[in-house]
Amino acid sequence: MAKPILIVGGGPAGLAAAHSLATFGQACILVDKEDRLGGAPILEGYAKLVPSGEWAKDAIGGMVDRVAEHELVDVRKETKVTEFSGEAGDFTAVLSSGDSVGVSAAILCTGFSHFDSANKPEWGFGTFPDVVTTSQVEQMISSGQGVRCPSDGRKPQRVAILLCVGSRDRQIGREWCSKICCTVSANMAMEIREELPDCHVYIYYMDIRTYGLYETKYYWKSQEEFKVKYIKARIAEVTSDGEKLIVKGEDTLVKRPITIPFDLVVHAIGMDPNVDNPDISAIFGVDLETHGYIDKASSYSATGLTNKNGVFVAGAAIGPETIDDSIAQGKAAAMAVLEQRQLAARLVS
Amino acid sequence: MPIHEKSLIRPENLQVHEKLEVEGVDVSGHWSTFIESRVVTDYNEAMEDEIAALPGGEYIHRCWQCGSCTNSCTVHALNPDFNPRYWIYLIRMGMESELLRDKEIIWQCVSCNKCTYACPRDVVPEGVMKATSHWLELKGHTPKSHSMIFDEIFSEQVFKTGKIEDGRTVRRFFKRTGQALRQPWLEEMVKRLLRNLPIGMLTRMGMANFITPKTKGWSGARDAIEEYVAEQESHHRQALRLDDLVEAARKEL
Repeated sequence: MAKPILIVGGGPAGLAAAHSLATFGQACILVDKEDRLGGAPILEGYAKLVPSGEWAKDAIGGMVDRVAEHELVDVRKETKVTEFSGEAGDFTAVLSSGDSVGVSAAILCTGFSHFDSANKPEWGFGTFPDVVTTSQVEQMISSGQGVRCPSDGRKPQRVAILLCVGSRDRQIGREWCSKICCTVSANMAMEIREELPDCHVYIYYMDIRTYGLYETKYYWKSQEEFKVKYIKARIAEVTSDGEKLIVKGEDTLVKRPITIPFDLVVHAIGMDPNVDNPDISAIFGVDLETHGYIDKASSYSATGLTNKNGVFVAGAAIGPETIDDSIAQGKAAAMAVLEQRQLAARLVS
Repeated sequence: MPIHEKSLIRPENLQVHEKLEVEGVDVSGHWSTFIESRVVTDYNEAMEDEIAALPGGEYIHRCWQCGSCTNSCTVHALNPDFNPRYWIYLIRMGMESELLRDKEIIWQCVSCNKCTYACPRDVVPEGVMKATSHWLELKGHTPKSHSMIFDEIFSEQVFKTGKIEDGRTVRRFFKRTGQALRQPWLEEMVKRLLRNLPIGMLTRMGMANFITPKTKGWSGARDAIEEYVAEQESHHRQALRLDDLVEAARKEL
């Protein structure tokens, strides 16, 4: 029987790759550094996913279950790959558990890290308890607690969502667009308006990038049906008057400075390259592109190729990515692995 | 464009002290020039709801500020201060004092509806202009416009009789707007009518001024229309909290 395939990371991409390979009778070893599978949607406690509207714990939970129960998938939680040597078709991976395993290929599904808002101190995160991140609001919704001000548990009357926190910002070395925060924020604004109809939600933006079909489903719908207000302004700072948060900036459409009181300020945090990427790059011998994500080769011969033969990559490890597309890339990388194995077999015979 | 751009400084916001000494330093005259802040310090969410409650304003919340309305506007071409895009924004953010600065030009919309066809979001800016003029009148910021007075006279007559009698409309319009009935152009028109119209028609037109003909079986339609109008008016009063305003004004007196 062919050697197993190593899949690093048990988020949407890794789970999709493992399921595809196992379905085709290919054994895999799925390692994840965390104590749970599911990746960011499960670890961060996301609520309803974009664009399906399904709860993360059900949608991603289902993907976890079918992989965890599959006899051909060897799941190793709380495990990292510490060494990786050999060549395509005959690699040896040393795991942090001490085990050494022989694998024919590896798929890196190592994902991203959420931007740490503390790196943007002028926007008040870490200084004022009622400045939170989109992840925290996701948790408020998914836990059933509802959207509340952390300082005293009150229902907010007015919420500001600041877009591009940790994205498109040369000052902090993050020049990329994180792609999905606009859509997620529009969705979150609608969820807040649905739970708290008396609460007004304002979104401060530089550009709205609810691309493709998300335009009507999120941007238009949030404005037309939920009366969410969009203000073109890059916020300068978030302060407090002791009672309310004060959001300062310039309203570019009326060319006026604004200092508006808010109860809750939400940072739409972007996607950073996985903080472990320098290690991953060194261990697996894969290059990182200029922003620090894993560099993907061109897609025309096979999908998910890296500069290293036999090591594939999928999902948000390559750059900011949606859950749906991460799943597709996981499956595509699995297909690329099977293709390569088939081609190798034909060459041998 | 920087926010301290000179064109944005309003003369009334400039403060100059002819005689001023600060910590022993004489800063009289231009040395003490101070520009009062134009900072927006709060949003007033009620304003958009009020405009949206009036006919034509229903879709204001769809606006994403692309400027197609202002760009296509007939009046804007003549008067650059006529800017529907800007007013829609002020209303949505509740910047009432800023909107009131333009109260004398908002009613100048000629309802050509070019904006209606240009708008990618179906905001119907022409309707919003109409609703805004209406709002300004209802709130007492502007007097009733002549076109509004004309509409009222016209509809009063139609509601009452189901018919419209031109002579009465014209007389009432001039009376209510405080204008002299003897306008040279009107006299000329009447003279020509008398000269050129068949005698039978002239007689009927003349009689209509005294006997007020009615459409047959009109009372049912009249009741329905009046009920609807009363309903709408009460809805608008409520949405704009006009009764509260009146009450507050009464208390002040």
